[in-house]
Amino acid sequence: MNLENVHVQMRKGVLEMCILSLLDQEAMYTSDIIERLHNAKLVVVEGTVYPLLTRLKNAGYLAYYWMESNAGPPRKYFEITPEGRQFLEGLRTSWAEINEAVSRTMHNPSHS
Amino acid sequence: MNKTMTINLGGYALILDEDAYLIADRYLTTLARHFGGTEGAGEIMQDIEARMGELVNRQRGNRTIVSKTDVVSAIAVLGTPEELKNSEFAEGGFSGEERQQSGASVRFKTGKRLYRDPEDKVIAGVCSGLSAYFGIQDPVWVRIAFALLTIGWGTGVVLYLLFIILVPRARTISERLEMMGEPTNVDTIARAVKEELDDLGERLQERFSKKKRKK
Repeated sequence: MNLENVHVQMRKGVLEMCILSLLDQEAMYTSDIIERLHNAKLVVVEGTVYPLLTRLKNAGYLAYYWMESNAGPPRKYFEITPEGRQFLEGLRTSWAEINEAVSRTMHNPSHS
Repeated sequence: MNKTMTINLGGYALILDEDAYLIADRYLTTLARHFGGTEGAGEIMQDIEARMGELVNRQRGNRTIVSKTDVVSAIAVLGTPEELKNSEFAEGGFSGEERQQSGASVRFKTGKRLYRDPEDKVIAGVCSGLSAYFGIQDPVWVRIAFALLTIGWGTGVVLYLLFIILVPRARTISERLEMMGEPTNVDTIARAVKEELDDLGERLQERFSKKKRKK
């Protein structure tokens, strides 16, 4: 049990929700998704995101299409599916619940 | 002088130095093995190759040939196999057992090979190569032996020349590992890549501080 490990676990837990939230607004190029996550300090090395995207896609929450690019080969764009939106709703609800429960416990430990 | 190869990395046509190629190839093979058990492994690798192509191509700028540093810095962004292992993402990814297995079963070459060591040399790296082969800590002993042979009967010179002709230089990471007697597997390559990175960082720092001093 060390801090780094817990940190990794926490990040991992919210990563899917963050990816779905990003894509809920617009379809995005894979590298842009990663850049956003990286800038938000949610991801340290990029290699970890690809398996996650593939898993979300295989679960039917994401779909992708190819788009021609004027610099280099065609780019893979991910978009959220209706099932993905539903799943995201569920994630958001449980996130709000956890958030509330945690802050209640932390700020008022004796009454929880 | 260095050989180059043209490769297609995720849709980017790139010309790579042999060194750069070997590192990239080893990296992708290691990753493919790492993701081997994961669902959709082929697709993951495709995505990673596309990204790696993009990163390397960006690093290259307007040079024609991709160098080792370009590849190494792309690997730094994507994450070494070591880092990917540590920040375990996938549930149902790899259990500890599986991970250990992949460490052991993946070794393709074990044992040492005799090389000349170009990174620790006085003349051509024969003595340091020999001492690595025989597990002698400090190549200076081998050097003294050669010097004595030369003073004594002059055979040292002849032997040395023979070694230069017959023993190849250790040029790539995998050759260096073979010379040192470390089996080439996931972990040693990861470590070697990391050392390469550290080395790169140091060199950059050095260059930076030199520039500063000039000012």
